[in-house]
Amino acid sequence: MNRTLAIAALVLGALAAIGGSPYRAQHANVDAARLARAIAHEDDHVTALELAEWIRDRKPRLRIIDLRSEREFATYHLPRAERVPIEAIPSTPFARDETLVLISDGGAHAAQAWVLLQSLGYRDVYFLRGGLGEWLDDVMSPAKPSDLTRYFGGVPRATGDEAAYGGGTSAAVKAMRRRGC
Amino acid sequence: MSGAPLAADDVREVDRAASSHVQVTRAYADPYVAGVALGLVLLAAFVVMGRGLGASGAFASSAAGVVSAIAPRRAATNEYFARYLAGDGPWRDWLLFELIGVILGGFFPSILAGRFRFEIARGPRLARTPRLALALAGGALMGTGAVLARGCTSGLALTGGALLSVGSWLFIAVAFASAFAVAPLVRKAWR
Amino acid sequence: MTAPLVDFAAFSAASQLAIAVFIGLAFGFALERAGLGDARKLAGQFYVTDFTVLKVMFSAIVTAMLGAYWLARLGVLDLARVFVPETYVLPQLAGGALFGIGFVLAGLCPGTSCVAAATGRGDGALTVVGMFAGVLATGLAFAPLRAFYASTARGSLTLPQLLDLPYGVVVCAIVAIALAVFRIVERWERRAA
Repeated sequence: MNRTLAIAALVLGALAAIGGSPYRAQHANVDAARLARAIAHEDDHVTALELAEWIRDRKPRLRIIDLRSEREFATYHLPRAERVPIEAIPSTPFARDETLVLISDGGAHAAQAWVLLQSLGYRDVYFLRGGLGEWLDDVMSPAKPSDLTRYFGGVPRATGDEAAYGGGTSAAVKAMRRRGC
Repeated sequence: MSGAPLAADDVREVDRAASSHVQVTRAYADPYVAGVALGLVLLAAFVVMGRGLGASGAFASSAAGVVSAIAPRRAATNEYFARYLAGDGPWRDWLLFELIGVILGGFFPSILAGRFRFEIARGPRLARTPRLALALAGGALMGTGAVLARGCTSGLALTGGALLSVGSWLFIAVAFASAFAVAPLVRKAWR
Repeated sequence: MTAPLVDFAAFSAASQLAIAVFIGLAFGFALERAGLGDARKLAGQFYVTDFTVLKVMFSAIVTAMLGAYWLARLGVLDLARVFVPETYVLPQLAGGALFGIGFVLAGLCPGTSCVAAATGRGDGALTVVGMFAGVLATGLAFAPLRAFYASTARGSLTLPQLLDLPYGVVVCAIVAIALAVFRIVERWERRAA
């Protein structure tokens, strides 16, 4: 009996070695018309203020996916954000019932990752429209501070560019903003 | 044994049998066959639910439920428990129901196989009370470890092992290594 | 239609919980039949006399791994939709180390402690109580642990990604390692007996 099991395992294992990839993720299936409709109806993105409310209200099953580099992520990232490099997006199996929000520097990578995830069959996916810059401008240091600004420890914008960022963000963030992220 | 009174010899025979644990119980299954059966259960969970098995998650969920019943504010602001309170709430957790199944699935077959017995499984040189203390302490350490590692032998090791998760294999290696390292220190408990 | 069925069949919440109980029943049954409700049997492993735990665990992993690979390869199961436990290097190293110590003290792990308790064993019940207390205490003291808990996150990283090898090759290697390990522990058990 055990011998049979061992042989079966060995045969199935050996065949697996030459059997190819088990993921179908590589063969993504794009319904271009549906994606175009989602984009036209602006169902594809969230604004920084919407996202801030989701985080504050602890929206269940929310996952914030930061696509930027490890260094940029270490400098500053949104509360609860996790870093997933864009090349890892196709092979990362997210749960189907999770709401995914994608964040990149300016928004382009996040929008592209949105298409990738849609093509892999994830539906509840959004990207932060204006990227991290929008978050910093609208939530962390808006001209008119809101409850959300205070909640996230931001500081309203002073005159000009020399905005002071609170909440543990530092000169590096200021530098990042000046770079025009 | 029918209603007939036992002869003295028979009584001694029964006593001896009880003390050496040679009772009318069925032997355990072959570990490989049981393992393959367990693997098929795990595979069924993948196919039906798209997730694996678990145990410690049920503990976390019910702990969240208890905290939330006693101190709702504290539970809601606790980042660890809060996520178990989202959705349908801690008492409707999938893993909790699965663990109830595990308990029933252990109970009924052990009755049928004549293996159900009130006892305290311990090493030959260990008294009952220290054995229970060790069980309690061991359970608490596993609880803390499972929280940090995000799973236990079921949810992390078995499930993630079969799905080739790096963290799962890391956990398996470290847990077994640390158990082997500590085993000589507590030899008295088991040998 | 491909599995996981839950993505397509739209099971109601109640039927998902019924499935949970059913899968749990089979899980508990397999553990009990293997003798994993007995702490002496589990502890025997760490004194190189009884490798039941390792045999059951490893053959379950191999079975489910081969099953998942081949069902996915044949198009029955969509592997990308199965939740892979995520990797957090340092928390899992620390958690694993603590877990191992608890494992040898209790002689049971969380799943098997429930089976032990369900088959009438007092040590199983106390391990369940200890588990609950440990999870509760760690959960309540979560604030200072939070940063560590979230550190060194690697997402759903798999061995094929880490080693940059084809999935099937890793599957094959694990089968080979498992069979070799079984041979070795059989020899050790015979020597101990």
